[in-house]
Amino acid sequence: MEGLLAGSDDAIRALYARYGRPIYSLGYRLLGTRESAEELTQDVFLTAWRKAARFDPTRGRLSTWLMTIAHNLAVDRLRRETGVSRPTLVLVDEVPDAPGLDEEAVLIERDAALRALSSLTEAERRLVVRAYFRGMTAREIAETDGIPLGTVKTRLRSAMIKVRKANEGKDEL
Amino acid sequence: MNCTTVRDRLAEHALGALPPREADPVDRHLPWCAACRKEAGELHRASASLGFALAPLDPSPELEDRVADTVHAAVARRDRRPQSNGRRSRLALVAAFAAMLAVLGTGWGAVMAGRAERSDEAAKRQAIMSQSAVERFQDLLNTAEFGDVDDEAFIATLTPANPGGGGGSALTVVSPSITDMAIVLVNGVPPEARVSLPFAVRLRGPEGALMVGRIDKDGFDDDGAAIVMREFLDLVGYDTVIVRDADGRVVLHGEMETRATVASPTP
Repeated sequence: MEGLLAGSDDAIRALYARYGRPIYSLGYRLLGTRESAEELTQDVFLTAWRKAARFDPTRGRLSTWLMTIAHNLAVDRLRRETGVSRPTLVLVDEVPDAPGLDEEAVLIERDAALRALSSLTEAERRLVVRAYFRGMTAREIAETDGIPLGTVKTRLRSAMIKVRKANEGKDEL
Repeated sequence: MNCTTVRDRLAEHALGALPPREADPVDRHLPWCAACRKEAGELHRASASLGFALAPLDPSPELEDRVADTVHAAVARRDRRPQSNGRRSRLALVAAFAAMLAVLGTGWGAVMAGRAERSDEAAKRQAIMSQSAVERFQDLLNTAEFGDVDDEAFIATLTPANPGGGGGSALTVVSPSITDMAIVLVNGVPPEARVSLPFAVRLRGPEGALMVGRIDKDGFDDDGAAIVMREFLDLVGYDTVIVRDADGRVVLHGEMETRATVASPTP
C-alpha cells in the first residue's frame, strides 16, 4: 500500500495484476458493457490511491477493501444513471470458467466465495445474486420475483449470516 | 432508529440492497454505535468477498496501462505542489469563504427569512447578490493560492423542504493529496423552523452519510444563519447535502451542481 500511495508504477501494476480482472469482472456483471467495466476499473484504482492512507489492514483484507470500493462505485453508478438497463442476470455458476489464469491469492478468494455461496439454499443464493451482482434492492427483487418483501429480507439476512460465517477465520493478507 | 432496527437492515446494507432513503438512517446510526458498526463491518467484508465468485473476464490489454496512467497523472498533479502549501491554502480558503458568506449573509439571511420577500426589488437584489457570491467564489478558486492543483471544488445551493424554511449553500473541496473539506452555510432559517434542534448536517455519498456538523440553538445568529465545517479523508462522490432536524425531518437539501477546478499555479 505504501507503493500505491507513492504512485509506484510497480505497485500499481502488481495490484492491477492481482485484482484488475476480478474488479473488471464485477463491473461488467453489474454495468453490462466492457466500456463501463473498464471505466469502473480505472475509477476503482484511482479511488484506492486516493484512499490508500485510510486502508487499515487490521480491519480487513486488501482484496475485500478493493472489492467494496468496486461494488459501491458500480451500484452508485447503476442507481444514478436513471433508465440504465441492467445486464441480463447470469448466475454465478453459469458463468464460463477460465481456470489457471489467476494468481493464487485470487483463486483462493474465488474458492472461498464459491464455498460461501454453496452454503446457501437455492432460494437464498438466488436473492444474494440478484442483490449483489445485479444491484437490485430488496423491494425490486420482491416485485420482480413476486415474493413478499418480508421474505426477501429474511432470506437475505439468513444468507449473509452464512456468508459471514464462511468468511470467519480467513487469513489476513 | 435503534440498534435492533438497524441490525435488521445490515445484511441489505452490506449487499447494497437498501434504497438511499432506507440506508440513510442506518448510515446515521453507525458512526455512533460501535457494536452495530462492528457487525456492519463484518457483513460488508463478507459481501465484498462474494465479488470474487465470478469467473474472471479479460479486459482489453490496454486497460492496465490506462489504470497506471490514470494514477500516475493524479500523482504528478499532486507532486507539482508542496503539501504544506496546500494545507495552509486550504485553511485560507475556508477563512475566505466564511468571511465572504458573512459579508453577504446579512442581506441574504433577511431575504431568506422572508422579511424582504414582499419586495420584487429586494428579490432582484438577492438574485444579483447570489450570483455575485458565486462569481466571487469562482474567482477565489481560480487563483493559485488555494489548495492542490488537482483540487476540485463543488458548490451546492440548499433549498428548504418547506416554503420559507430558509436556504443556504455548501462547498466541498476534494483533493488527492491532502484532506478534503466541507463547509455548509445554513441561512435564513426562521425561528419557527428551529424548534427541533440540533440540526444535523450531513453529506451523502458512495459510502453512506458523513456528519459535517450539528447546529444547536447557540449556533444560529439573529438571521437564522449558521456555518459548520469539517475536514475529511475522502469526499469523492459525496454530492448531496442533507440537513435534518432532531426528529429526522429534512429541513434543507441540495446537490453539488456547480463544479470548479482550482487553476494550475504558475510553474
